[in-house]
Amino acid sequence: MSEPIRNKIHSTQEQVLQWVTFHLDNETYGVNVMAVKEVLRYTDIAPVPGAPDYVMGIINIRGTVISVINTRRRFGLEDQEPTDNTRIVIIEVGKHVVGIMVDSVAEVVYLKQSEIETSPTVSKDDSARFIQGVCNKNDELLILVEFEKLLSQEELEELSQS
Amino acid sequence: MSFSDDEEILEDFLIEAGEILEQLSEQLVELERRPDDAELLNAIFRGFHTVKGGAGFLQLTPLVDCCHVTENLFDILRTGKRAVTAELMDVVLQVLDVVNCMFQQVKDRTELTPASPALIAALEALVAGEELSSTPEHAAAGDDITDDEFEQMLAALGNPSADASNHPVDETGSGVDEITDDEFEALLDTLHGAGKGISQAMLQDGAQLQSDESIIVAAEKGDDITDDEFEALLDALHGSGKHQGIPDDVPAAAPVKPQASKAADKPIAKPALALVKSNPVPEPVAKDATVETTVRVDTRRLDEIMNMVGELVLVRNRLVRIGARSADEVLSKAIANLDLVTADLQTSVMKTRMQPIRKVFGRFPRVVRDLARSLGKEVSLELHGEDTDLDKNLVEALADPLVHLVRNAVDHGIEIPAVREKHGKSRQGTILLAAEQEGDHILLTISDDGAGMDPNVLRNKALEKGVMDRDAADRLTDEECFELIFAPGFSTKTEISDVSGRGVGMDVVKTKIAQLNGSIYIHSKPGQGSRIEIKVPLTLAIMPTLMVMVGEQAFALPLVSVNEIFHLDLKRTNVVDGQQVITVREKSLPLFHLKRWLIRGEAAVAGESAAHVVIVTVGTHRIGFVVDHLIGQEEVVIKPLGKMLHGTPGMAGATITGDGRIALILDVPGLLKRYAG
Repeated sequence: MSEPIRNKIHSTQEQVLQWVTFHLDNETYGVNVMAVKEVLRYTDIAPVPGAPDYVMGIINIRGTVISVINTRRRFGLEDQEPTDNTRIVIIEVGKHVVGIMVDSVAEVVYLKQSEIETSPTVSKDDSARFIQGVCNKNDELLILVEFEKLLSQEELEELSQS
Repeated sequence: MSFSDDEEILEDFLIEAGEILEQLSEQLVELERRPDDAELLNAIFRGFHTVKGGAGFLQLTPLVDCCHVTENLFDILRTGKRAVTAELMDVVLQVLDVVNCMFQQVKDRTELTPASPALIAALEALVAGEELSSTPEHAAAGDDITDDEFEQMLAALGNPSADASNHPVDETGSGVDEITDDEFEALLDTLHGAGKGISQAMLQDGAQLQSDESIIVAAEKGDDITDDEFEALLDALHGSGKHQGIPDDVPAAAPVKPQASKAADKPIAKPALALVKSNPVPEPVAKDATVETTVRVDTRRLDEIMNMVGELVLVRNRLVRIGARSADEVLSKAIANLDLVTADLQTSVMKTRMQPIRKVFGRFPRVVRDLARSLGKEVSLELHGEDTDLDKNLVEALADPLVHLVRNAVDHGIEIPAVREKHGKSRQGTILLAAEQEGDHILLTISDDGAGMDPNVLRNKALEKGVMDRDAADRLTDEECFELIFAPGFSTKTEISDVSGRGVGMDVVKTKIAQLNGSIYIHSKPGQGSRIEIKVPLTLAIMPTLMVMVGEQAFALPLVSVNEIFHLDLKRTNVVDGQQVITVREKSLPLFHLKRWLIRGEAAVAGESAAHVVIVTVGTHRIGFVVDHLIGQEEVVIKPLGKMLHGTPGMAGATITGDGRIALILDVPGLLKRYAG
């Protein structure tokens, strides 16, 4: 039986979700593939004076101006100089399209709903809010991020109000 | 108002209302399927409301009345106080038919026939919250009426040989012929005797109408008709009709659906048609000779196209640059061609967004006349350059400020006739409203031959309000005095009328014009009148800017606000009260270093010895910005910053430069508010 057909069978039995994985520091994160519009190499980001500090600035994608979020800063990590592997993942959050800068993008993984566990820590930490769940696969912990929550509710409201 | 103006407004109304009515019939049908769709209800409500509004303006009273009640009904529906039922829909659809009929009459420029009082009454009853209990409902509810019986009834009512789906009105008439007047009277008597709910007026009404219609209408109204009575009615019809039983030739495809409820719609639809027919009006021939040559397009789609064309222009620019470097003649020819086509395309797309300013001007004759009458003044309004085209968004955005300025001219400017005569002027004042294209912008002027403004009065007023002290006020030039009227809370009128004098209007006008990247000037001579000039760009999509470099980044300053540029020896500045100032032609202007504001980590750079200074105008003030380099003038396509950064203080948007980089467009007032305050 070929691979796609097996996948199809799986999906009828249990929902299989696809996740784009990316690295930040030493951790691997996953974001639902349906939210990802495209992955870009690092380009010059034009800073916007007066913008919130987690917004790195704006980039031009074929004529559309898109804001780029400093994901490291949003996750409470140190800033890092962009490298050859640095990528900007363009995601669609609700009606907004934003770019998130990550250290590198790895692959697309298939996960069954049953493989996803709820996040182990129940901290009230800032970064814990947008973790949708975790998944242990091949001795590696994959942290699934829900970007709708990353741009926390208040912020989104704030943004759409202004 | 001249006749041609009226005609144009009417034309606009016909286009708009025609579309709405078309939509409405679709939406109403859709509503039957999804009776709980709040959005749909809202849309229908708005539809009737818009038609009513337009009709009201044109004083088509019968149409207004009809739409008004329907609007009320949908208001109740959308607030959930009432649910959509089939009976209600029947009435509403009937209303739509009547409205459509009136609309056709408007089109034919004939007298409107008001909706039948019975219909309005039915609507009002619905609005009041009464339940309609119509014949078809009973039919639908009555188990003992089979489909066959329904077909018989239809057959009896109409000419059975005709395809029932078309129900030509004439045929209804011929069906009616089969019932004699006497029989009809008897029927009415039966109904009357039993149904107490039928008012006398209704009966009179009904008697004038065609017989089948009045049966239905009467039955609709008669709350007290029982199933039995309905049966009797059916029987009576059967008895009088020549066709007993099911005629064999009833087409199988007759729209009498198996569900009785569906079939029940049919008899109701007919009276509406009968109504149409009974009007002494040429039959509404839909879609006649005049073919529509216009298409309505969502402006967002135009914006998209505009955006893409903007991109194309950038790509072209890049190609032109590359082409200039290569010696290939074929390539450069192709690029030159592309250059031309792109330019043409850009102009064409811009033109699709253009609308004549007549759209706004058209409303002024009425505004002026009504206002002048209520103030007891004599004013004539002259319009010039109504055909001037400008961006649709601008046309809409200019409407309010212009209305305000024109009202001001009538209220403040033009004196009452007696005063005018005393000053040796004609009794009638004149207001001139003109529009013309002047290079890359539009010049709008509102001038009157009224009292004008006295700079000294304004100076005193400023003192009184504590806006400035005596010295400052005395130093103001006359022009600067006139600018005072734009200050919030500044009104020279001592009494507040319902027209003007609250001191908010001019402030709003100024802000609005500034938002459009426009500017506004006032010239006035006491006793001779005032002249207000508004300059706005042709379009909002493309903005001329001055590109400057600050650090490594490019910024665009809207060219309208740029006053002058010069090279400055920074040693020749002074510090007054902690603020660096420069003196330009004996005026000292505050100087700000954009680098300190806009580039991170550059907040406290040591001043270089020389720099480029751009003088910009903000409101009535002028200030200087120190920048690193001047790139030059560039027309840019404004891109919104996106949801995340929208509203960042001082940033009006972004644009993409010829080399594909991003430049931020500065919003000077916002910038000052954020950083200089």
